[in-house]
Amino acid sequence: MTYELNVAHLYGDLMNTYGDVGNILALNYYAKQMDVKLNVEVVSLGQPFDANKYDMGFFGGGQDFEQVIVSKDIQAKKAALTDFIEDDGPVLAICGGYQLLGHYYVDAKGDKIPGIGALDHYTLAQDHNRFIGDIVIKNEETGETYHGFENHQGRTFLGNGERALGNVLEGKGNNGEDGTEGAIYKNTFCSYFHGPILTRNGNLAKRLLIAALKRRYPDADLTTQEALPIAATF
Amino acid sequence: MTLRSNFAAFAGRSSYWFLHTFMKGGSSLPGKITTKIDPDILKHLGQNYDVIVITGTNGKTLTTALTVRVLNQKYDHILTNPTGSNMEQGIVTTFLRAPKVKGARPIAVLEVDEANVIKVTKYIKPKAFVFTNIFRDQMDRYGEIYTTYQKILDGVALAPEATIIANGDAPIFHSKHLPNPMIFYGFAHEAEHDIKAKPNTDGVLCPNCQHILHYRYITYSNLGKYFCPNCGFERPELAYTVTKLNELTPTSSTFEVDHNPMKIEIGGLYNIYNALAAYAVGRFLDVTPAQIETAFSEDKKVFGRQEVINLDGKQVTLILVKNPVGLNQVLDMISTDKAPFSFVGLLNANYADGIDTSWIWDGNFEQLPHLNVPAFITGGERYKDITFRLKVAGVPDDKHQVVPELKDVIEKIKTLPTEHVYVLATYTAVLQLRKLLADQGYIKEGMGE
Repeated sequence: MTYELNVAHLYGDLMNTYGDVGNILALNYYAKQMDVKLNVEVVSLGQPFDANKYDMGFFGGGQDFEQVIVSKDIQAKKAALTDFIEDDGPVLAICGGYQLLGHYYVDAKGDKIPGIGALDHYTLAQDHNRFIGDIVIKNEETGETYHGFENHQGRTFLGNGERALGNVLEGKGNNGEDGTEGAIYKNTFCSYFHGPILTRNGNLAKRLLIAALKRRYPDADLTTQEALPIAATF
Repeated sequence: MTLRSNFAAFAGRSSYWFLHTFMKGGSSLPGKITTKIDPDILKHLGQNYDVIVITGTNGKTLTTALTVRVLNQKYDHILTNPTGSNMEQGIVTTFLRAPKVKGARPIAVLEVDEANVIKVTKYIKPKAFVFTNIFRDQMDRYGEIYTTYQKILDGVALAPEATIIANGDAPIFHSKHLPNPMIFYGFAHEAEHDIKAKPNTDGVLCPNCQHILHYRYITYSNLGKYFCPNCGFERPELAYTVTKLNELTPTSSTFEVDHNPMKIEIGGLYNIYNALAAYAVGRFLDVTPAQIETAFSEDKKVFGRQEVINLDGKQVTLILVKNPVGLNQVLDMISTDKAPFSFVGLLNANYADGIDTSWIWDGNFEQLPHLNVPAFITGGERYKDITFRLKVAGVPDDKHQVVPELKDVIEKIKTLPTEHVYVLATYTAVLQLRKLLADQGYIKEGMGE
């Protein structure tokens, strides 16, 4: 294949609930169609995140116990991850991964678990309730509609410089109050969507891959890649 | 026995007789009536039994059935609950309909839902618990693995003298110190290495120091001879072990337990764990290995879970799938078929199936295109999800038919190029398919358990 991208699967051995690994599989599926070879590596406890080595990051959700362990370890990767995000590195973060890129989240027991604050959101708990069910959102800028399944206890509130991934058409979204779902900051995309998100929304997979290609291959002609049609899968 | 218990039991028994005789059913209603009249009824009903409680995510039903067969080799009166009646009311009904036994103390082998263990131990002090495994189940309904284990332990705490017979290959069962006597079973069949579980495996943190566990060998998922390279936490000493795997096919497994040859008429490594658990209970209650071997080989109906249906000459194996670990075990099992086969995946997302279909992405469908599978069908209410899953797994379009309606799936199966057909379906898809097959006279009505 003509192109090659290195993907860091952050804590892929701990943050892997709800089929989030399907996002990696979907990325790989579309990458092949875009003449791109994807090299995926798990970056986990005690391993550094090398911002120069990777072209994309993926960060899934985990169980409460695993997320607390990850919250401690990720502080050592905070600087490198923040640099990567600030430098327009494409990242997809889902559920717990989304929460940990922000300032903090409050878990079901009421403990405040620190994130890395690379993005400006924070997450509160809700009493004995979860947002569970199918969800549909629309991104007004791109006109794209995204389908997913949400299952989260946390209520996330966006901060400075963050735009929502979309406005909620059906479902609850970030917090059930302000009609937003997910977050976009530079090339970092966050969401509570399972399903997994990229398997139902190929347009978003394509968007991430194009962003990574442009950054890694600034002089390449990506016309065919950008013209790749994405068939509906859901 | 109090007057109230007597009356409650009488009312429950009468309602069971009525429902059973006139309504052809009723497994939980008599229990409901009885507990309504006397909430403490289980204490009264269960006090004369030696009770074995079997719990865990996967394998409860077969482990329970096998345990009953094993104990029957030595004991005359074994009471057990029918499949699906593993919550409090169903268990009360089980005791209510038991015949009165004179002489030796009878045994009750009960399959109990993880969250219902405490509802049983509140009234009955079991002789033993069996823990099969704890895996991620449908997460919109069940919690995380640690929460599930804690629910079981809350129940166990009320019976600190009961012996725990646990799967020693599961790290979670060695994570908490308990006052109960513990017996572990597991696999000791392979040469030792130093490996880690696949990235997409749940429950790989050391419970002591939260480093990633390593393994000398892995049987499946996070089960195996684990150890922590950081703090030295390791698999406990095993009392009963699978010492050798001989032949594994989709319909049978031959292996050795403590060097005694065994055969079960069902495929799947996970079912060997179920047999091993039943063996452990048998040995715990002084059944000999030879008797256990006989128990496994004698009654083939016990393995009824994988139903084989003759569909105009096609040998169709219908398998229920409900969570990622179970799904992967089934995929591994069908891959042991030496004959070419066709693959049918039917996905629904009703409440009983789990309304979130994300879990199919944790299934290792990527192995399918590398097997001798000339034809694929996907269908069910969520056919789009399972269709795209197979596409991403690399199943070529020219071998893959998308057939949403189950009645059309039945017709298509008849035209498949292979004699062997494996149908993997979620719970309500199994029910719908069986209903259609029953209407067409291929099988009898009912769940076939």
